[in-house]
Amino acid sequence: VALRSRDPGGETGPGTTDGGDSPDVHTFRPPSEMPLAVVGLSHHTAPVEVRERLVFDRPEAARALATLRAEAGIQEAVLLSTCNRTELYLFPEPDPEALSLARGILGRRAGTIHDLDQYLYRRGGEEAVRHLFLVSAGLDSMVLGEAEIQGQVREAFETAVAVRSEPPVVGPVLQRLFEMALSVGGRVRSETRVGEGTASVASVAVELAGKIFGSLKGRRVAVLGAGSTAERTVEALGRAGVRGVLVANRTRERAETLASMVGGEGFSLDDLTSVLRSADIVVSSTSSSEPILTRATLGRAFPRGVDRPLLLVDIALPRDVAPEVGELPNVFLYNVDDLGEIVDEHLQRRREALPAARRIVGEQEAEFFRWYLARGAGPVIRSLRDRAEMVRESETARLLRRLEHLSPEDRARVEEFSRRLLNKLLHDPTTRLRDGVVRGDGAELVGTVRYLYGLDAEETGEFPDLGPQQPRKGVE
Amino acid sequence: VIHLTALVLYIIAAALWLRSLLVGGGSRGAGLASGAVTAAVAFHAIALTLFVLEFRQLPLVGLGPALSTLALLLGVALLPLAMKGEVARVGIVVTPLIVVLQGAAMIVGVSNFPVVPGVQGAWFALHVVLALVGYQGLTLAFAAGVLYLIQFKELKSKRLGRLFRFIPPLASLDTMARVGLVVGFASMTLALAIGGAWAARYQGGVDWGNPKLAWAALSWIALGAPLAARSGKGARERRGAAVTVISFVAVVATYLLLRLTPAAGPGFL
Repeated sequence: VALRSRDPGGETGPGTTDGGDSPDVHTFRPPSEMPLAVVGLSHHTAPVEVRERLVFDRPEAARALATLRAEAGIQEAVLLSTCNRTELYLFPEPDPEALSLARGILGRRAGTIHDLDQYLYRRGGEEAVRHLFLVSAGLDSMVLGEAEIQGQVREAFETAVAVRSEPPVVGPVLQRLFEMALSVGGRVRSETRVGEGTASVASVAVELAGKIFGSLKGRRVAVLGAGSTAERTVEALGRAGVRGVLVANRTRERAETLASMVGGEGFSLDDLTSVLRSADIVVSSTSSSEPILTRATLGRAFPRGVDRPLLLVDIALPRDVAPEVGELPNVFLYNVDDLGEIVDEHLQRRREALPAARRIVGEQEAEFFRWYLARGAGPVIRSLRDRAEMVRESETARLLRRLEHLSPEDRARVEEFSRRLLNKLLHDPTTRLRDGVVRGDGAELVGTVRYLYGLDAEETGEFPDLGPQQPRKGVE
Repeated sequence: VIHLTALVLYIIAAALWLRSLLVGGGSRGAGLASGAVTAAVAFHAIALTLFVLEFRQLPLVGLGPALSTLALLLGVALLPLAMKGEVARVGIVVTPLIVVLQGAAMIVGVSNFPVVPGVQGAWFALHVVLALVGYQGLTLAFAAGVLYLIQFKELKSKRLGRLFRFIPPLASLDTMARVGLVVGFASMTLALAIGGAWAARYQGGVDWGNPKLAWAALSWIALGAPLAARSGKGARERRGAAVTVISFVAVVATYLLLRLTPAAGPGFL
């Protein structure tokens, strides 16, 4: 299987998951052989023509996961598919044959398996964990800090959880991993400024409109001319609730054709004054060499002055709206430079927040590994507790048989006392056992506990081989 | 102690609003601030209920009780706003005003006032309550107006910083100011009408030389002027916001002037 373990220098974005970008507070050393893997491609490695062939919707993702379980025997899997990435998270990391089958499922979707290898990457263990956390926090996104990805990670997780399979496709490790990834995303967005501000012309226009009009439901937008940015802006406004799109173009026919595509009405630019009177937001992107919206135009549209807020978004070059129009009361004029400056400023602010965001990722990574390692103590702790509980129950029952004169309340108190005593006695040993396992003394400690309490290895299971452990600052 | 607890909670709410502004207006900060206001209002209401039970008197007579009641009315007005998303952020202006009112009330003392014959009864209580509702409306309109003007400036100057993100949308602020002014103006008009009728009935006519009357008339104009400014052509909302702010400042300044100079005479609140 010719999957690359790292991007060949393709990840130049601020959220790259290359080793050199590891969080600077990464004081906790993870297990050296954590059997987790991510296989996939993203905007860092594949052009849109490739990415779009690998987009899975929810039912398709569920089917792919079920197939993976059936054909490749993979225990736990989650498929994250967005317009910018398609990634399979697998636990434990499958053998090469199963991995090849997993890749084949992606390949079948893409249609041409031969092409796919050059775009795919594979990350294992610590890198896979960090990668998911960076993805969920929006630090690996095309637009740094974008929030949509967190919902997509949640959706991928929920889709996998909903797959009907026994045992479930999402087991304890991926469940914990994805829950923590969502928590990382939440923390990064609430504790840092990485998600602050909007980062595209369309979203800035929506934000501006929201701050002027409040709810955009029922507002009307006029589009002068056409163009992809104008189209995206109108789409974004539509998602925010704007209804009623008025499209004005040099020719009415062309305007009507464009309008029919967005469910609006078409007008000729000769009807500009009536269009302006009906609109709350105007997005202008004509190819006119002269401004088409001047003070005089506004004067004709609003003879008594602009008597309500009017947002003008001028994304044309050369500009469609004369600068002095912005001086009119109630007119809020933003041209392409203004919008670009706002976007740049927001992105700069986001970039400045990167160290703090990475610190959070590092902290959560360490927490995940602590949890993962502590799982090794689970069987022996359960066994120890079961044994102790059995002794407690039989001894309490014997005592209560001798104390028949006790009232039901007093009997309940004796039961409660015995439980509390047991919990207090076991608290320190179990906590220390977990800590010991996390520190790397697992096998020795588990053996000691088994010997001291007479627990069977069969009963407690073998202590998992988590690879050579080293002392870790994070837990000492 | 309960009054003091309410005051401390109002101060905490004001601080939380300020913090929310500084960190970019996150919903968690706003939720905490609204929670603090709710707790403050609960304590404040208990304190004034105990006042009524103890003194068998509504907290409307005397400067301390009247200021505390006005503070409570403002706090109560913030409660439904907490459910309305960004609009709740007017709390950043209103809660410091509540702190000033409640603080002043506690300094002068929220205690019973010797009942003067005539200054009691249902009509008198209604007169005072309506007047306080009028000031409540003016204060809320002032808060919305200040934020409107700041947001307008941010949008015009294309600075989309912390203030831009924190302050509610212009349309929401305008709606809130309009409701405050309409309710306040109607209440104040009724209060003055009842006051006039009451004076004619119990005092043999209106004492036109009473500074209280001048201040009441100014308050009525202060509520009416922004409404008038909102009619006509051009940027009506902005003009209305500016006139509201000027009116509020004029009412407060006139009150302080009358209060701090001997011209008002001993009967002035």
